[in-house]
Amino acid sequence: MSSTRNESNAASSAVPAAADPARRVLLAKTALDGHWRGISVVARALRDGGFQVILGGMSTGTEIVRAAIDEDVDLVGLNVGGHVEVAERIIGELRAARADLPIFAGGIIAPWAAKRLKALGVEVFPPGSQLGDIVDCARRLTGGNSDKTG
Amino acid sequence: MQAQDKRPPVYRSASGIELKASYGPEDVPEEHTRVLGSAPGQPPFHRGGFPQGYRTKPWRIFQLSGFGKPEDENERIKFLLRNGETGFLMEHDRNTADHLYNVDHPDVVARKEDVGLTGAVMQSVRETALCLADLPIESTFGHAGGAVVQHAPFALAAYWTVAKRRGIPLAQLFGTGQSDFFLTYLGCVTKQQVPTAPGLRLNADIIEFCAEHLPKWVPVSIAGYNGGDTGLNAWQELGAVMANAIEYLDEVKRRGRMDMTVAAQRVGGVNFRTTMEIFEDAAKLRAARKMWHKLLTERYGITDERALRMRIHIVTSGAYMQYQQPFNNIVRGTLMALTAVLGGTQSLGVSGYDEAISIPSEHAHQMSVRIQQILEHETNIPAVTDPLGGSYYVESLTAELERRAWEFVDQLLAQGGFLATLDSGWLHARARENQESQAIAEARGERKIVGVNCFQEDITPWEVDGFPPVTDAYPVALERLHAVRRERHETAATAAMRELAATCRDQSRNIMPVMMQAVDAEVTIGEIGDIFRQAWGDWQTPKLV
Repeated sequence: MSSTRNESNAASSAVPAAADPARRVLLAKTALDGHWRGISVVARALRDGGFQVILGGMSTGTEIVRAAIDEDVDLVGLNVGGHVEVAERIIGELRAARADLPIFAGGIIAPWAAKRLKALGVEVFPPGSQLGDIVDCARRLTGGNSDKTG
Repeated sequence: MQAQDKRPPVYRSASGIELKASYGPEDVPEEHTRVLGSAPGQPPFHRGGFPQGYRTKPWRIFQLSGFGKPEDENERIKFLLRNGETGFLMEHDRNTADHLYNVDHPDVVARKEDVGLTGAVMQSVRETALCLADLPIESTFGHAGGAVVQHAPFALAAYWTVAKRRGIPLAQLFGTGQSDFFLTYLGCVTKQQVPTAPGLRLNADIIEFCAEHLPKWVPVSIAGYNGGDTGLNAWQELGAVMANAIEYLDEVKRRGRMDMTVAAQRVGGVNFRTTMEIFEDAAKLRAARKMWHKLLTERYGITDERALRMRIHIVTSGAYMQYQQPFNNIVRGTLMALTAVLGGTQSLGVSGYDEAISIPSEHAHQMSVRIQQILEHETNIPAVTDPLGGSYYVESLTAELERRAWEFVDQLLAQGGFLATLDSGWLHARARENQESQAIAEARGERKIVGVNCFQEDITPWEVDGFPPVTDAYPVALERLHAVRRERHETAATAAMRELAATCRDQSRNIMPVMMQAVDAEVTIGEIGDIFRQAWGDWQTPKLV
């Protein structure tokens, strides 16, 4: 029932966890597109969910890899505003640098493009995704990931 | 089993105005009651600027369009015109145009597949000419692109140069620019752009240039839509638009070179958005016209009725279109279009049903036009102007929106004006507050969205894939960039660039004559961008997220 689902969503975002040093997430935009509303709302939900959010802005693959390493993040969130190939390239560069680093994505992603990202093992949150689901996914992807070596 | 009703005890409009279960004459404030007797076409114009309304002039069917190579955009514009739109918009590729980069800029190359995604690449007047091929611009109302402040001088100059080369006298050319601060300083903030002060200079230059050379051209068009979809509510959108207009008119007044009545008339073609908040947004248009009249008469002493009539272009909200069950968006587009028409818009663009997925496919674009045509021809709405006039509810909303909007204007002016609140990030913070409260309301199910957080079963027989991106925009654009550099008269281009650089540094000169010269000499947008950046540096982007 959607009402039950909404109750659990409300619960997971209504109880902010204390900021956990093990949960750092980099949010970056793959496109040269300055719409910031989506990232803004997701960043807020993640912060409320106890994450430290590092904002990468509009970034190239090189910049995202650099930020992910320098900021020693546990998770990368890509806001995909353009062609999925750009995101795929960035995912490839990230995996080449840190194969263990989980990645999830959101933004204006057509169903056909979402399928391609999912095939790469990236969870996709198109518009209309529940914020609670995004936070739960972030927790799941960073769960038990306390080993920061390598 | 019925799900428990989660409705809050107080009903509010989207902007927070408390709503009664029903309205009566006592709900219309005294000040507003006094103007209820006015007819459409009479001051203060909340009922409409034109007594015969749609009987004499139906609203313009005006759809945002464009992608890919200029030829691709040309084809789509022709498709829309064939299907019944009555004006066209030529959107420019955002990677290049918004930033004033050519396609060989490293930041564009890093995302080359994105080039042409939401607009055609036009780096020089050659590509603009391709985009306008066989389009009867002498008799069709065209939006030249240039929605972005720093890009507008190029976009306008290129369109006007194509017209000139076709032998169309600029004095006869009609159409519109935009140069909207809401777009890239609030809503879709570019990686780099000129600061707001030189941006204001550019817009005032465009206003002055048009008054002298293109009297039928709308020089700039403030776009409240871009504030609304970023998070501003109805009265914040209203107030911010008025405060933006004050920036333009105060600047023109400060320069002392232009007739203020002419200036007021030129700046009075603005844009708002409509959302699913039907009555509030219809009232918003009525409040806008009333506020325009008050602003011009009281602050600038304008008496010419032609200037006092605000003309409105509406785009239905993209943010209200949903990714899930996209055909539901046809209903949403229709309701938001109805809102615009009931509010008396002069021009309308309906967001596509695939808005949350991609730019419109041909079918979605056609549907946006059909929605408008059905409203125009099948509903008898055009027979009566301001049909909501006299509704206790709508008049009460009109008055309340106006009251709150003026308070918002005062808040902006107290901080130094609209541009100051962009520079400081104050306006972004207001948008952010609403973004967050709306997102939380959706997450809690307080705000129900059909197909998204309720009624999610979907038996649509096929998936709406949206419009597939073109793949050849970047390589073709790169080739064209090389060709223009190779083939243009380098002496003329260099001279024009030198003149442009000098003009940027000299505030007393109008940018448009030298921009026309530069465009004619086939100077590219990347070169123009470099000159602007050299002269003015980058806007210090305030905190967004």
